[in-house]
Amino acid sequence: MIKQDNLILTRSDPSGQGGTQLIYRLKSYGLAAVSRPQEEISMIHWEVDIVKFSNENKASFEICHTTELANKTLKFYSDKSLNEFLEKAFPYLEELDSLEKMLPQEP
Amino acid sequence: MANVVGAAVCRTAADEGKPADWVPGGERQKVVDPMKMFHELPREMQFITGSEAARESMRRANIDIAIAYPITPQSESMQQAGYLYDEGYIKEYYRAEEEIGTFSAISGASRAGVRSLTATSGPGLMRGMEAISSWPGARTPIIMLNMCRVINTPLAIQPDNIEMSFMLNTGILMLHAENQQDFYDFPLAAICASEQVDVTLPAVVSVDGFFCTHARGPVMITPEEYKLPPRDGWRSAVPAMDNENPPARISRDAPIQKSNFISYHMHSSWQQEVFAAVQRSAKYFHAYLGGLVEVVNPGAEDFIVASGCAVSQAREAVRQEGEAGRKVGLVKIKTIRPFPTEDIYEALKGAKRILVPEFNQAGWLHKELCSVLYGRTKGVIKDGPRVYGGMTMPTEMILETLAEFRKEVK
Repeated sequence: MIKQDNLILTRSDPSGQGGTQLIYRLKSYGLAAVSRPQEEISMIHWEVDIVKFSNENKASFEICHTTELANKTLKFYSDKSLNEFLEKAFPYLEELDSLEKMLPQEP
Repeated sequence: MANVVGAAVCRTAADEGKPADWVPGGERQKVVDPMKMFHELPREMQFITGSEAARESMRRANIDIAIAYPITPQSESMQQAGYLYDEGYIKEYYRAEEEIGTFSAISGASRAGVRSLTATSGPGLMRGMEAISSWPGARTPIIMLNMCRVINTPLAIQPDNIEMSFMLNTGILMLHAENQQDFYDFPLAAICASEQVDVTLPAVVSVDGFFCTHARGPVMITPEEYKLPPRDGWRSAVPAMDNENPPARISRDAPIQKSNFISYHMHSSWQQEVFAAVQRSAKYFHAYLGGLVEVVNPGAEDFIVASGCAVSQAREAVRQEGEAGRKVGLVKIKTIRPFPTEDIYEALKGAKRILVPEFNQAGWLHKELCSVLYGRTKGVIKDGPRVYGGMTMPTEMILETLAEFRKEVK
């Protein structure tokens, strides 16, 4: 079973290409994981992006390829490998948010 | 060689390459009341494709015979049906020569009183349309899974549900699945409704191919040790036929083939009864599915009315509009036949703008809606966005159409 912790939204992929998108959120950072249709079922996989939320109360976000965790879209070919990644990514993203808040804010 | 213990058909363990003590999976399942299966049994979430959801539905459906001819994107589901046959959950299964043969053979199986399943997609459905359109009049409660795809030239295998429009007036019960969950639930509900004495009609569960069949989604499923009660071929509007001693004339009503007033009258009344039976099925779908429609945000001024995958995209549009502080309603139509006219009217009677997004060129759902709401609602009904030929419908396309609609109708 796919990890349900920090999952704030499960929706049909808004791109309209079919499949399911899961949105995980940890403070202002999070992950968007999408599983899209494939003509060969065995090719179905997860595409995961680190995202930064633009609003505290909304699910709107921008893709963020500037963290140390990932500078590109990541691919996972099993639920197990996705879950393992999520397990490690959650504390990192939570910490990242806290560290960012400690930095001096630009006027 | 002895039959497999308890098996209803002549499948031997040796024939199947199984150990001598093999017991078919279906024989190990317990029969459960449909209402208990739909509403009381515990459910577990699985993240599976639409084809796999169909497999799990078939596993619990107590299918006696499946006959199909492969076509993309249906092939994946019927490959899964093959696994079920191997495991002993489907008692008989074969690949027919093509679709006219498939749909004629499955009609014979259903007339014999057994639970019969077939599946197809776009062009396959069109090829077998002559046989399909004879099912309702023959009062054969067949279950057909239809994975929608483009039917016209240029050839494409992508999702487009135009083929559903060809079945609207056949007398078949029609359901349209939004997602993998529906493709698990709807076939079970359709089987139970179609086999009721006062219904006795075939049912088709359509789903938008690839978007659902070849993609994974969350599905809450019941334990696999439970299955539906078997079909009782004698508990039927038209009793089962003894296919080993068939009547001399297969046609159930020979006088109907004459050209005189009585034959016209018979045919007319027979058709009236078929379409009345479609309406009578509504109460069963209400009970099994909790309603023929799902309404989100009742009382809104703006409504989106959709079926199939368009619902999922509309659902996200409604959510995003909610985030922006705008309340938009959604009517998901689960059953296309019976068409839930009164439920829709009830949901839309206060609506000002009604948008109907579709995955087909004809806009058949928009036309249906206009015809049943004509003169009954003050709301303006607009078709769109409409995509076809395998095109996608991004959520923002619905949001843009909605924004334009608000400018057009103040």
